[in-house]
Amino acid sequence: MSKDIAIKVEGLSKQYLINKSASLKSDTLYGNFISSLRNLKNFTQKKEIEEFWALKDVSFEIQHGDRVGIIGRNGAGKSTLLKILSRITPPTKGRIEYTGRMASLLEVGTGFHGDLSGRENIYLNGSILGMHKHEIDKKFDEIVAFSEIEKFIDTPVKRYSSGMYVRLAFAVAAHLEPEILIVDEVLAVGDAAFQKKCLGKMEDVSTQEGRTILFVSHQMNTIQALCNKALVMNSGKISMNVSKTDEAIKHYIQLASVASQTDLANRKDRSGEGKIRVTDINYFHKDTPTDELICGQECSIYIDYECNDSIHLNAITVALAFYGDDGILYTVLGSEFTGVIYNNINGKGTFVCRINKLPLMEGTYLLNVSLNQNGLMQDWVQEASTINVIAGDFYSTGKVTPATHRSILIDNSWSKL
Amino acid sequence: MNKEKIIIDSTSTSFLSIKEIIRYKSLLNNLARRDFLVRYKQAFVGILWALIKPLINILVFGYIATKINSTVNAANNFVFVAAAMLLWQLFANVFNDVSNSILGNSNLFSKVYFPKIIIPISSILVCLVDFIISLVILIVLFFITGQEIRWQFILAPFFIFQTLINGLGLGLYFATINVKYRDIKFIVPVLLQLGLYITPVIFPTEFYFNRLPDLLKFIYALNPMLSAIDGFKYAILGTSIHYDMLYFYISTFCSLIFLFIGIKYFYKFERNFVDYI
Repeated sequence: MSKDIAIKVEGLSKQYLINKSASLKSDTLYGNFISSLRNLKNFTQKKEIEEFWALKDVSFEIQHGDRVGIIGRNGAGKSTLLKILSRITPPTKGRIEYTGRMASLLEVGTGFHGDLSGRENIYLNGSILGMHKHEIDKKFDEIVAFSEIEKFIDTPVKRYSSGMYVRLAFAVAAHLEPEILIVDEVLAVGDAAFQKKCLGKMEDVSTQEGRTILFVSHQMNTIQALCNKALVMNSGKISMNVSKTDEAIKHYIQLASVASQTDLANRKDRSGEGKIRVTDINYFHKDTPTDELICGQECSIYIDYECNDSIHLNAITVALAFYGDDGILYTVLGSEFTGVIYNNINGKGTFVCRINKLPLMEGTYLLNVSLNQNGLMQDWVQEASTINVIAGDFYSTGKVTPATHRSILIDNSWSKL
Repeated sequence: MNKEKIIIDSTSTSFLSIKEIIRYKSLLNNLARRDFLVRYKQAFVGILWALIKPLINILVFGYIATKINSTVNAANNFVFVAAAMLLWQLFANVFNDVSNSILGNSNLFSKVYFPKIIIPISSILVCLVDFIISLVILIVLFFITGQEIRWQFILAPFFIFQTLINGLGLGLYFATINVKYRDIKFIVPVLLQLGLYITPVIFPTEFYFNRLPDLLKFIYALNPMLSAIDGFKYAILGTSIHYDMLYFYISTFCSLIFLFIGIKYFYKFERNFVDYI
């Protein structure tokens, strides 16, 4: 292992066995006894165990002081990789080598106890993350200052607001001094100002102290802001090895647009209760179907759905999130925001989202779609669909905002007093 | 900062390492502190609960012992029962807490790596603090009944340690099964209830031995708490042992066997706990 390599991963694989015939009962001794009896009785029928490789033959090297983003869709194996790296679960095959102290933040505030005060929780959480008492003593004032909760340090954390809780939790983690820091989307919490502070802290840790950071996020802009390198994972394998962040993100977007071409109804990488599901997304320019939309023109998005049961569903809302191929979220359109909640939904049908004047600039966009019932997620598909937007005369002046200033367009007028 | 090289692969397994436990001593300390602080927070009489439960048990079982075992005077019956009961309660708490400790703290080790053995050890520490508090009862009874301070006192810590080992060994075994089969949390209290009746807590060991054939005596002596309790009573109260010492040694040996099996079993599955939770 050469000197400037911080982490070396070779042929890492992780297999999970999924017992398909398992019911909840096989988690009890009785249930296990019964199912083994059943297996004895009809031993011709094989026990249905499905092998599932969450990671398959993953190899890469990370150099000292690099901030590496790990990109991939839900179920690509990112979390499994982090869990193996942080020694939470063992690999089925392969090996990992690294030197120095590694700390993982797969969750902020691991082990926080609501009945304990902020002070007691700093010591508890710090020691869970592997800090010694004298290290925490030394950093205590810094931690409290960073978290901005000086006044409440002796109050039980169950009385904290969620923001205070997260700030305190991150503050402890940020003052760990590991050689290698593994972070899993913990920044998705807290207000924008604090998120920025956290990112800044992580950048400092890496650039000034020369520490290695591995960072998993769904937000491409966060990856872009924080990481100097990235690797892309897809269904348990490395799809693109550690390379420049921009290239990796580009590769990821390409992957995503390939995925979005597969039949939406048959996509497996979705989450939610599943009482109602999105089966297809189509685009209409005025009233004619199209695969390209024009900036500034009227268009409609047709979202086909299918219900699982024959029961009529009420309080259904639909939302679409538009991500650019640069990974930036441009806008979210939700039926709820416009005051539309669908009732009495069953069988198959189509929700229609009409946009009078498309405010998106030229480029490729990826859509995430979600269906909710009373705030409970029924279906959520990331990169459910891709759409090209071509340049159009948004302001009806023949003048176009330059493509380098890619953003949402807003109708506006100018005058002078 | 130590630049230790760490290798993770599919075959490496860990085993009990005192060095690693010492490295994580602040975690051990903080987990025990948490459990102890949380237990009596927002409770009106707070730490007094550590006294109330054993006190009630001692009063009830001491009274029963006085009624049935009239060979000893009433006051002595209470001291004997108190010594045995406190030690039994220590064992019961350790056994129960250790067997629930892993599952109860799964939110910790499914997010952060640390040697998992820290968790059961921290629950032992908490039980030990409770035990030390409850010793007040024994000390009071000791002086009320006019017992003498004897040199054998120095043996008492050994039998307390044996009790911890008994609870840890059995507890680790059950904690491991508990990860996969959640029935354990119901089984342990039942076993402890049974154990209380067959272990010489209320009556002296001779009371049981006089009623058993030889073969059953041997099986009876497999109970690792037998020698711990009799040894403790000998150290504190000077009650001599009126049965074959072989049975005493069998029981002591069982303590070590149970501890060994418990640790072995725990470390066999320890690495994969997260996948079962």
